Amino acid sequence: MNNEMICLRDKIGEVLCEFASKDDRIYVLDSDLANSLKILQFQEKYPKRFVEAGIAEASAMSIASGIASEGQIPFYVNFAIFVTGTAWTQLRQAAYANLNVKMIGTYVGMDNGPDGASHHANEDIALVRTIPNVKVLIPSNVKELREAIKIAIEHQGPVYIRVTRDVVPDVEFEEESKLGKSKIVEDLGNDFALIYEGTSAAIAYKSFETLKEKGYKGKLINIFSVKPIDEEFINNLASNVKGIVTVENHSILGGIGSRIAEILAQRTNHAPIAYVGVEDVFTESGNSTKVKEKYGLNIENIVSKVESVMK
Amino acid sequence: MNIKELKLLANNNRKRIIDMVYLAQTGHVGGSLSVIDMLTAIYEIDVNFTSEKRSKVVLSKGHTTPALYAVLNSKGIIKDEEMSSFRKINSRLQGHPYTGTIKEVDATTGLLGQGLSIAVGMAIAKKNLNDNNNVYAIVGDGEMQEGQIWESLLQAAHYKLDNLILIIDYNKLSSYNDVNESMNLEPLVTKIKAFNFHTIEINGNNMEEVVNSLEEAYKIKDKPTAIICNTIKGKGISFMENNPKWHTGKISEEEYEMAMKELKEEEDRINNE
Repeated sequence: MNNEMICLRDKIGEVLCEFASKDDRIYVLDSDLANSLKILQFQEKYPKRFVEAGIAEASAMSIASGIASEGQIPFYVNFAIFVTGTAWTQLRQAAYANLNVKMIGTYVGMDNGPDGASHHANEDIALVRTIPNVKVLIPSNVKELREAIKIAIEHQGPVYIRVTRDVVPDVEFEEESKLGKSKIVEDLGNDFALIYEGTSAAIAYKSFETLKEKGYKGKLINIFSVKPIDEEFINNLASNVKGIVTVENHSILGGIGSRIAEILAQRTNHAPIAYVGVEDVFTESGNSTKVKEKYGLNIENIVSKVESVMK
Repeated sequence: MNIKELKLLANNNRKRIIDMVYLAQTGHVGGSLSVIDMLTAIYEIDVNFTSEKRSKVVLSKGHTTPALYAVLNSKGIIKDEEMSSFRKINSRLQGHPYTGTIKEVDATTGLLGQGLSIAVGMAIAKKNLNDNNNVYAIVGDGEMQEGQIWESLLQAAHYKLDNLILIIDYNKLSSYNDVNESMNLEPLVTKIKAFNFHTIEINGNNMEEVVNSLEEAYKIKDKPTAIICNTIKGKGISFMENNPKWHTGKISEEEYEMAMKELKEEEDRINNE
């Protein structure tokens, strides 16, 4: 996969503007990060539907609830740690009411390397997926980002979209993204299944290539819809492959690896599973790639985990 | 509805509150009794359930559902036979306001501090949608200690939300203590005025003052209004008034009889005005 690398975060504003041009119910809420989040163009085109809430994340989330209560579709776009962490009880209360609020969290996992552990959102999947009613989608390319936002607009209820600030290969899968469905990116055989969440697409692709070069024939899976998750698909996978490895730009506690384990642990027999992600630690400052490498997201770790589960 | 009729309705709503909390043997009676005059007036004057576009009420001090349910019962939205199901299993009448079971409840609340922000969002959307109705956020004085309230005070004023009316039920008692002893709010009116709100301070248990304050708020342009209602927790029931014990609690049969007797006497007094 020698595709051009693109920053998915840079496309958020553009895609929201596309939908907003056809649907005047769409609002964007910001907490003083419109420039970093590349949503300034929305503010310029739709100033009345752009709500600058100031650096007040909790209140911004509740304002989104109020806007949704009037039949509109607010997207609260912010760093993942703020939209899922700082505003967690506000999000939970919105979800309890099943309000039509949409959250886009970017600077996820260790994407914001230099800012350090305070800003690394390694818990956002865990924080949102435990809340009833909230759907969780993780796009890995521009087409999936557009599809995730489309799904969010069409779905009545809260949706969290996890968008990487890092670069991802600009691939386009033909298959249309669907709520509750994962995607088989490449299927060479049943030696293993490597399951990644969209923000760690780049390292997952590279590791899959390395495994291919080593002669292993496995499957590369893009989880895409973390909630609802395609349980039947995961179960079938665990019946067919020799081993499963999950890759996530997130803590291994409560993320996609945990979610898959929750499904498989109910069975007597299933393929063994190993997890790649941040162990139960706080990270540190550094170049994003270097931080990710140090905290588990490196080819050697992924390949070695795959080899261990195939034994 | 004239002032006398509003007073009688508020008194009847007090009976409904006492009934509910007595039957449930749980519920927040004190703060429901302090806020009921304002809540009764708002729903009578400005909330038209038959209209698709209408004014909305966010009961941010969500623990005072007995007051909200009393009003909705008076409107026929909650049936008499449902009133005994408050806080019980399989009931529409959840402990805190929940839009999922009663569509006429305008906001799911309960976690203190969030309701004014929700009202800000409603008010922003209403302006964009050319909906000239109002949005009310009803906030408790203890709740004013929540940080999010001050975020939303900034935002409401920043957006010049003259369709937003903040009601502060200043009954001076929070869950067990004098609210200003647990964390001093004073000078409260000065602070809110400094946030660029139009402020009105009233006796929130005086129906004339309640109605006049709402009429004044409707005339204010380019800024939100805050009505600071000095009230008495447990208002209307002598042994509950200003007694922190009645923040939440069970009402015995004897206490129930006493409370209902006092409310009957008050009804007679209003009728003879």
